[in-house]
Amino acid sequence: MPRYLLSRLLQAVLTTFGVMTIVFFVMRLSGDPVLLLVPEGATREHIETVRRELGFDQPIWRQYLTFLGGLLNLELGVSVVQRVPAWDILASRIPYTLALAGAALVVAVGLGVPAGIAMAIWRGRWFERPIAALVVTGQSMPTFLSGILMIMLFAVTLRWLPSSGVDGPASVVMPAIALGMLSMSTFARMARIAVVDELGKDYVRAGLARGLPLGKVVTRHVLRNAAIPVVTIAALETGNLLAGAIIVETVFAWPGIGQLAIQAIQSRDFLVVQAIVLFVSLVYVAVNLAADLLYASIDPRIRLGKT
Amino acid sequence: MFKRLAAIVMALMVVTAAAAQPYRDSITVDLPNDAATLDPHLQWDTDSYAIYRNIFDNLVTRDVSGKIVPQIAESWRQVDDTTLTFKIRTGVKFHDGSPLTAEDVAYSIRRIIDPALRSPQLSQFDQIASAEATDATTVLMKTKAPYPALMAQLVKLSIVPKAVVERVGAQAFNLQPVGSGPYKLRAWQRGVGVTLDAVPDYWRGRPPFDTANFRVVPDVATRIADLQTGRADIVRQLGPDEAVRIKSDAKLQVLAAPTERIGYMFINAVSGPTQDVRVRRAIAHAIDRKTLIEALLQGYGKEVDVVLTPANFGYIEGIGGNAFDPARAKALLRDANAVNAQLSFLTSPAYDRRLVEALQQMLQEVGFRVDIQTMDQPTFLRRRQGRPDEAGSISLGRWSCACQDADGVIFPLFRSGSIWAKYSNADFDKEVDAARATLDEAKRLTHYRRAFEILRDEVPGLGLYQDFAIYGARREIRWQPTANEAFFLFDMRWRP
Repeated sequence: MPRYLLSRLLQAVLTTFGVMTIVFFVMRLSGDPVLLLVPEGATREHIETVRRELGFDQPIWRQYLTFLGGLLNLELGVSVVQRVPAWDILASRIPYTLALAGAALVVAVGLGVPAGIAMAIWRGRWFERPIAALVVTGQSMPTFLSGILMIMLFAVTLRWLPSSGVDGPASVVMPAIALGMLSMSTFARMARIAVVDELGKDYVRAGLARGLPLGKVVTRHVLRNAAIPVVTIAALETGNLLAGAIIVETVFAWPGIGQLAIQAIQSRDFLVVQAIVLFVSLVYVAVNLAADLLYASIDPRIRLGKT
Repeated sequence: MFKRLAAIVMALMVVTAAAAQPYRDSITVDLPNDAATLDPHLQWDTDSYAIYRNIFDNLVTRDVSGKIVPQIAESWRQVDDTTLTFKIRTGVKFHDGSPLTAEDVAYSIRRIIDPALRSPQLSQFDQIASAEATDATTVLMKTKAPYPALMAQLVKLSIVPKAVVERVGAQAFNLQPVGSGPYKLRAWQRGVGVTLDAVPDYWRGRPPFDTANFRVVPDVATRIADLQTGRADIVRQLGPDEAVRIKSDAKLQVLAAPTERIGYMFINAVSGPTQDVRVRRAIAHAIDRKTLIEALLQGYGKEVDVVLTPANFGYIEGIGGNAFDPARAKALLRDANAVNAQLSFLTSPAYDRRLVEALQQMLQEVGFRVDIQTMDQPTFLRRRQGRPDEAGSISLGRWSCACQDADGVIFPLFRSGSIWAKYSNADFDKEVDAARATLDEAKRLTHYRRAFEILRDEVPGLGLYQDFAIYGARREIRWQPTANEAFFLFDMRWRP
């Protein structure tokens, strides 16, 4: 187990390093940031001054070495645009993103898993259809549309919820639903497949033959076994929810990392973009690791590191 | 059951409607972006501006008509062609209680022109050679050469307290700015917004609202929903289509003003098929500005026939010459033996796609083939400012020098040697050089008239429309937006 953990951690470090290297070069090869940092009427001399001051006149390999040196010292640098340490900017947004991702996960799991179980148990019956339709709608409606429709209905017409921003728990409701709807379908489909799979197994038939009611078989035995794929999905979806809220955060003016990413990319705020990518890749690596470790506790037959 | 639900809904609506009544002593503003910095010498994008210019006073300012009037400088005097003295107002206090002195003014100038500060505004102020306080109320400023746009540039100079900046350093000052303006910073929650408190004993009088909240709402549809639900009292940066939507709501109003921003088309005079002046003229005659403005800008634009707006000094009325005339455009193309000439139309997401496609259509109708090439903004800028053979045949631009002077527009756009110019004409250079070397306004206008006549005949660029700034607001707000897109809370009022 410790050995397994160590090799997974090493993998995580390598993955993160690879991602950061790609981002470093893509950001620098895709355009000249200096041109966006000076006003339209800037003279050639002014542009050159800014380039020199920011170190963008250095050869790219030297910039890369400086960047690596900074990473090793856990130094993300000071934002060129906002003149504040990039880490401070990122850190101020993390709580919002965590809150939204958490609420969205509650929506997704809370609606998706029961829907999936229901579809599995009543598969082929007529009321599987409306549930399936709802699930598919949730997944196929783009959030910029569902978001605006929700705002029109619940904020403008009914006045139940605030239209934007962060003022107390009511503010998180609409963004969480908009974001959670996407993952909800994944959970529903995954749960359905897993439960259907388990329902066909001998122990279920044996239980039913012994006269146990279906409900009891499902809650006592099936769900525990069906949980493994659902946990995997939950881990992957957590990564998505943390990284993928760009549109939802923009529509609802939710000041999380997704919104910051858009702003930073638009203003070519390099160091902030790098900090975001670093954070998101660490999140992905961490949740995947967590999922693997969770398997072991759900299913003791899985022995990590022993093949 | 349904009746009861309806009753609950009604009750809720009444409650929230009552809560949404304008709070007479505060104002809430939705901006599309957060301030990049609150240090006025660091960033100057419109959203940062909208916030921090309420925290700071400027050396001089513009009144509603656009005239440059005193603010921190009570008066000024041109000593000779390169020397000015400013008389600094006494009795103005910074928010920490210390008096604003001539030394703070001189320091503010020296700070922004110091290359080590890396201010993006450096090129607007780098004609200033020196600034010093000669006594407690006088500042002596020297420019490198006679510089007619100086006062127009100084409209943007915010005065910072020397003692505070030197004590806390630039990074801390950015987060906790101290100014002398009508509002002081209460809180800046990054990405969420900024809250300002009124300074009750502000020297120009008591500010109109006790508190002002700036909220960051990137999506324009959400900004409108905020207005409709009363979460915001005024929102910035609406498009023409959104303005039409606001107009249909009786509780809201559209506040719009023509700005100094010029929508224009760049035409490459050095490379490609547009090297031939007849081809460039054909482009000019193919474009129906009236349709563009009415159909796409919903009237929120004003036709211009030069690359400058009437809000700028140096605008010459009635230069004329390049009116919509498709028959003439076709004839010119035949003349130039350029029927079916291929134009590459460079564009980026910064430009309205519908406008780009409408122009493509108009050009194709007179016999051009137009190839739209879309790229990201940095790539677009690199190509547009780079080698002429990479700059494409045509592209759009929305130019503002934030100085309301022709010198900040046609000089960088068309003067030989400028990174934007894909055009070279010694006569034109002579006129714009002369216009920036004299302080005599009548002489400058004569030079600009000649410069614009040259541009009319040679068409290295084409003025399309004067851009409008469009705001949405509750009906009860009284405010006149201005050409320089200033967002001074001090000039706004709740209607009694």
